[in-house]
Amino acid sequence: MSRVTCGTASGCADCPIAAGFCLPESLAALETGRRATVRRLAVAKAGDLRKLLALGLMPGVEVEVERRWPAVVVRIDRASVALDEALAQAVVVSRQRSAVGRQKGAR
Amino acid sequence: MGFSRGVAVSSERTGQEAAPDATRLLAEGAKAGSEATWLLVGGPNVGKSALFGRLTGRYATVSNFPGTSVEVASGQCAFRGRRAQVADTPGLYAFLSVTEEERVARRAILASSGVIIHVVDASRLERSLPVTLQLLTLGRPLVVACNLVDEARAQGVEPDVGMLADRLGVPVVATVATTGEGVDDLASVAFQAAVPVDGWALPQPFAGVVSKLVCDGRGAASVRALEAELALAGDPEMESLVASSCRERWTEAEAARAAGWDSAEDFAVGLATARRRMAAALLDGVAPAASSRHPERGWRGALERVLLSPWSGVPLALLVVYLAFYEFVGHLAAGRVVEWIERVIFAGWLTPAVRAAARLAIPWPAAQDLLVGPFGLFTLGVRYAVAIVLPIVTSFFLAFALLEDSGYLPRVALLLDRGLKRVGLSGRAVIPLVLGFGCSTMATLVTRTLETKRERIIATLLLALAIPCSAQLGVVLGILSAVPAAAAVWALVILGVFLAVGWLAARLVPGEAPSFFMELPPLRRPQLRNVLLKTGTRVRWYFAEVFPLFLLASLVLWLGDLTGALRSATQALVPVVRLIGLPAEAAPAFLYGFFRRDFGAAGLYDIAARGMLSPAALTTAAVTITLFVPCVAQFLVMKKERGLGVALGVLAVATAVAFTVGGAVGWAMRATGAWA
Repeated sequence: MSRVTCGTASGCADCPIAAGFCLPESLAALETGRRATVRRLAVAKAGDLRKLLALGLMPGVEVEVERRWPAVVVRIDRASVALDEALAQAVVVSRQRSAVGRQKGAR
Repeated sequence: MGFSRGVAVSSERTGQEAAPDATRLLAEGAKAGSEATWLLVGGPNVGKSALFGRLTGRYATVSNFPGTSVEVASGQCAFRGRRAQVADTPGLYAFLSVTEEERVARRAILASSGVIIHVVDASRLERSLPVTLQLLTLGRPLVVACNLVDEARAQGVEPDVGMLADRLGVPVVATVATTGEGVDDLASVAFQAAVPVDGWALPQPFAGVVSKLVCDGRGAASVRALEAELALAGDPEMESLVASSCRERWTEAEAARAAGWDSAEDFAVGLATARRRMAAALLDGVAPAASSRHPERGWRGALERVLLSPWSGVPLALLVVYLAFYEFVGHLAAGRVVEWIERVIFAGWLTPAVRAAARLAIPWPAAQDLLVGPFGLFTLGVRYAVAIVLPIVTSFFLAFALLEDSGYLPRVALLLDRGLKRVGLSGRAVIPLVLGFGCSTMATLVTRTLETKRERIIATLLLALAIPCSAQLGVVLGILSAVPAAAAVWALVILGVFLAVGWLAARLVPGEAPSFFMELPPLRRPQLRNVLLKTGTRVRWYFAEVFPLFLLASLVLWLGDLTGALRSATQALVPVVRLIGLPAEAAPAFLYGFFRRDFGAAGLYDIAARGMLSPAALTTAAVTITLFVPCVAQFLVMKKERGLGVALGVLAVATAVAFTVGGAVGWAMRATGAWA
């Protein structure tokens, strides 16, 4: 999985996914306050897939990162869900162009 | 996709018209001679158990513990002359289940024949509606209880239930379980619920594949359709069920799936995504879109950050533990309340009265002893249960219910996840582990909520060994309260054993590493009614479980005393007890411990109260009895949940560790001359 970071001055002009989105990366790599759209679930085990689906994480869903430590917490619909870093690694997202979230919180 | 299907019953209409209908239905019900059955289904933290309490009210015969329900609880609902049997199922996020409790809920749904009441969170409909759509494929009478509308109203996202009902083709009732709003409407609608006129088919192209598997030809809307869907989506339990019951069709369906999707996982993701889109379309205009809302700000947001940041969250968690368990349970309940009940009620009044009555009524001394002797049913069994254990356990469950109802526990789970991974557990284990401080037997049952077998085994072992239950904890703290330093040594040793055994178990027990995933429910102000209901239910469960064992223990001890078997057993234990530096008088306490942990600790309390133990001996005794074997009830639950092999293994480990560590602590204290 490519982990190209976005946010360059040129923005997302050459993003191949869709206008307004950037190259795919892992949910675990996003900073607090960042909004992103889930693209793909790259799980190693079928069991992990069921966990992510149970949390409501599936392609097309918009998330906002609320916290990265001690576990990743994301806002999805109107709920907060927590997942550990290993699971968050499996969620491939593309970040939205503008981070509308609040200022960076504790790490 | 068409929205208008059949006639929808919305809550506005049913409120007024319910009375004549109820009369008619009552007549029909009497004719049929059958009672309605309702099954409450829904995700965790949507107020399902509170709704269950409202529906069943004082008729409730709840058989387990709401909130952490791991089994199907049932009760009766009486409404305007009609009766319904109501069952509450454990929380279910999705039908593709992850944990054992979800599988329990799923089995109950697939096996039910009555009305299904799907309880959903009114302010997060998009999270529950995919499950509603799956329930619709069952072709069963279905009612949607749109709960927590008060929260939705406060957030300005109250859904239009009438519109939702029209679109789904099943009744949708707005409710607030904690205040009772809409509960009457729900009951009257549930009595009239019928099979949806038009069953909901799966979206194409999924329907084409699933239909190849529906063996009994009953069409798309049936239990079989859901089973087939789950099997094709790779659910292991459903796969083996469906594959074994109709092998040719399974091969055919697998081939069809392979033609359109790379794997079962792909199929599952595709189907989940399609359902989510259907749900979003259904909700268009019913409730404001989720993305238009910003994350929680204001005091809730600030509190959330304080609770979740390790820098403030961990000290806060320690403070909560100190206040709730040490001050409230340990000092107030186990200290003052127990002392008062013991001294004023039992010693001052009840025991002399019962003793005098027994002397008058029963001529044989041996039979008198059975009731009021040193091991008497009353003087030992009833007194321990009512005077020592009841106040401690009640106060613990009260504190636990408060924490549970506020939504605090999932935050602690998140905070401790990284730490617990070191001992082979995930943050999820916080709930059984904390509950274990109340009753380890109950907590062992709740380990079902853990995801892997490995986690369940490790949690079971740690609960049996290093988590003292509230009764034991209360008594131990009561004994040690005179010597605060001894209490500190005891706490450090138990914590050390917890970490060391957990660390070793994480390396020795085979299986995959745990992962942490959990929805964080909103922080809510605890509802007094809910808290009392939960506490009452748990105390009742505890007493039903414990009281007979206390009486049985008294009976066995009395018999042993009469026949001399007790003396020989105690004699056999004396060398072991002496070896770890305790007086011979402490031996019986360990013997009692076999019956109930707290029973043993309470026996120790008697010895300590007579001032027979030095501080070093006190610490040794407290450490040993805390680590010592689980009680009979816990052993039975371990055997039921984990199998005889694991149960015996845990027993052996616990006994060995208890005496080794206890002895080592005593030896170290004497060697260093500390409080000898």
